[in-house]
Amino acid sequence: MEGLSPWVLFFAAIFTGNILLTYFLGMCSFLSVSKQLKTAFGLGLAVTFVLTITAALNWLVYWYLLDPLGLEYLRYIVFIVVIAASVQLLEMFIERYSESLYINLGIFLPLITVNCAILGVSLFMVIRKYTFIQSVAFGVGSGIGWLIAIVAMAGIRERINEKKIPAALQGPGIALIISGIMAMAFIGFSGMVQIQ
Amino acid sequence: MTVLILKTIFLITAINGVLAVLLVIAERYLANYGECKIQINDQKEIQVNGGTSLLSALSSQKIFLPSACGGRGTCAYCKCKVQNGAGPLLPTEVPFLTQTEIESQIRLSCQVKVKQDLQISIPEALFAIQKFDSEIELIQDLTYDIKLIRLKLLEPDHIQFKAGQYVQLVSQPYGKVKGSVQRAYSIASPTYETGIVDLMIRLVPEGICTTWVHEVLKEKDHVQIIGPMGDFKMHEGEGEIIMVAGGSGMAPMVSLLSDILCKSGQRKITYFFGAVTKRDLFFLDEMAEFERKIPNFTFVPALSDPQPDDGWKGTTGLITVPLANYLSSIQTDKAQGYLCGSPGMIHACISVMKEKGMPGDQIFFDPFG
Amino acid sequence: MKLTPQEKATLDLFLPGTISKDGFLGDDSRHVHDIVQMDQRELTRLGIDQKDIADRMSHFIEAGKKGLETTVDLGDFTVQVQWQRGLILCPFGEKRRVPKLIAIVCNKKREQCIRYSQLNEHMIREHGFFEGSGSTFRLNPAELVQILEIQSSS
Repeated sequence: MEGLSPWVLFFAAIFTGNILLTYFLGMCSFLSVSKQLKTAFGLGLAVTFVLTITAALNWLVYWYLLDPLGLEYLRYIVFIVVIAASVQLLEMFIERYSESLYINLGIFLPLITVNCAILGVSLFMVIRKYTFIQSVAFGVGSGIGWLIAIVAMAGIRERINEKKIPAALQGPGIALIISGIMAMAFIGFSGMVQIQ
Repeated sequence: MTVLILKTIFLITAINGVLAVLLVIAERYLANYGECKIQINDQKEIQVNGGTSLLSALSSQKIFLPSACGGRGTCAYCKCKVQNGAGPLLPTEVPFLTQTEIESQIRLSCQVKVKQDLQISIPEALFAIQKFDSEIELIQDLTYDIKLIRLKLLEPDHIQFKAGQYVQLVSQPYGKVKGSVQRAYSIASPTYETGIVDLMIRLVPEGICTTWVHEVLKEKDHVQIIGPMGDFKMHEGEGEIIMVAGGSGMAPMVSLLSDILCKSGQRKITYFFGAVTKRDLFFLDEMAEFERKIPNFTFVPALSDPQPDDGWKGTTGLITVPLANYLSSIQTDKAQGYLCGSPGMIHACISVMKEKGMPGDQIFFDPFG
Repeated sequence: MKLTPQEKATLDLFLPGTISKDGFLGDDSRHVHDIVQMDQRELTRLGIDQKDIADRMSHFIEAGKKGLETTVDLGDFTVQVQWQRGLILCPFGEKRRVPKLIAIVCNKKREQCIRYSQLNEHMIREHGFFEGSGSTFRLNPAELVQILEIQSSS
């Protein structure tokens, strides 16, 4: 992986390897917070922020603590603890500085902790042995990719509200079908660059 | 193996320890707003602990803004002007504010959080409002759907108010109702009876608070009231006083009449009380007493739909009819009107009064409608 | 589906004890939107617009107001209106507050009566909401159309 420039990784994480539409990670909040464009954007920003911070922190923890000590098997639990702590910090920060974002996000902030996209990114970066810079680029890219996906979804769902949908498909049903179609559309990018 | 276990324990402890310390520090600096100053009307200043809503911060300092929903952000009675320090408008407030209100910095005080020093404006009269703990001394059926409840004030043990003002009764959870609401009821007791408060409460179908009063509340129960509020009161004047009420609208009139009784003025007073059948009439003995004691006072009960077995010999017809007849026979340009009752009756009577030449600014009625 | 606190606060307004004593949903476990949609289907079947219903309802309310709590005779119908002091909030969370007013309309020919509130009229007109089944003020669209003799305006 040494050869990949952080820029390539950044764009690849947004388009070809979109954490949400390619790996289907972080679906829970993707489905439930995509009803309003504004809230979706807020959550997208929060996820991007947390992803970047935790990617960097977890990289340091992994390569300077876990790896030298031979404790790689602890990475799941340690990553989760680091993520939980940073989300707590972020929550306090948002409550203090943007009350209206806080009210809109509410329960979803703590939910970011268990958003598998976040743990996924941390795990991918150690499995794929990214460098620190690469990891940060990958984190930011994945976050922005997730944000783009959820904002697009919210836009579609706001429109679709005005349309007639069969009763059985309303809500999560149609949302899943839409995300499937979006995922297929994103396959179109896959020729550009491959990261694996 | 032992080394691995020791290393694991050491690492987990170290990481968790570091993160815990970090969070404690953050909690200390980010979530702690410290003491905040709230400056009210450029004169009074209070110190509160930050982090709570403005409404509860004020009530912790014994300043009570009206609120009917208990801070849930649904009644919008707790509006007040915040000049400084409230932060941006919240999505929970927007539905309750008009464009003009937003421009003049009106906020919902139950939604605004105190995070820094604030500067707010509230009406002066609100400073006199207190919260009273009281005990139900008496519950009495006035009619089939109106009850009189008498509250004995415990803490503080006396109230000062003007006849015609109202208090907010704080309901308690019962049955399916999980929360508490506040509803306004006019005080029926005279102003010199400072140790008690009488309220007349008519059962509203499906009403949260009135159902509680009618079906749950018992004598000796403890309840809270907040007041006094409102500016329905006796005004200076020379002309005749025309009172019109129906149902529980009787309450403020009784208080006003007790006041007039003490002052022994010479103004002529006529009180029209509208009801449907005889079973809606109450307080007739008390009114007869007032008629004996107050010179120039006449009580005119009118039934709009007397039943055959009522044996009714008094005035019959919608309350607007005797009112219009009476107003035609007197000089109306100096007369004053005082109304309390159902909004339909108030609107109908006000238009009769204006039609008969009473000045619009001399017609006073209870605001909550 | 999980709800944000804001959505939850709005839904809470439909439950007992926040706006009305028994709430607006009765023992109906469906989501508000589903209730609205089911009744919408019923309206389509009846060939009646929700606006026609609301217009007719407010016609009786206005006529009944003049009676000041007595029963007003309108020929084929009688109506009695009880108007309490205070305003009640619409649970759909917009800024609308509606007078606390209840009308009882009786159809003399059918010898049937129906009771509804001004809030019912508002919710039917603006939100197509007839309340959940089992709710105290639940109105059955078909029954409303029959008793109030509502005809389509279009």
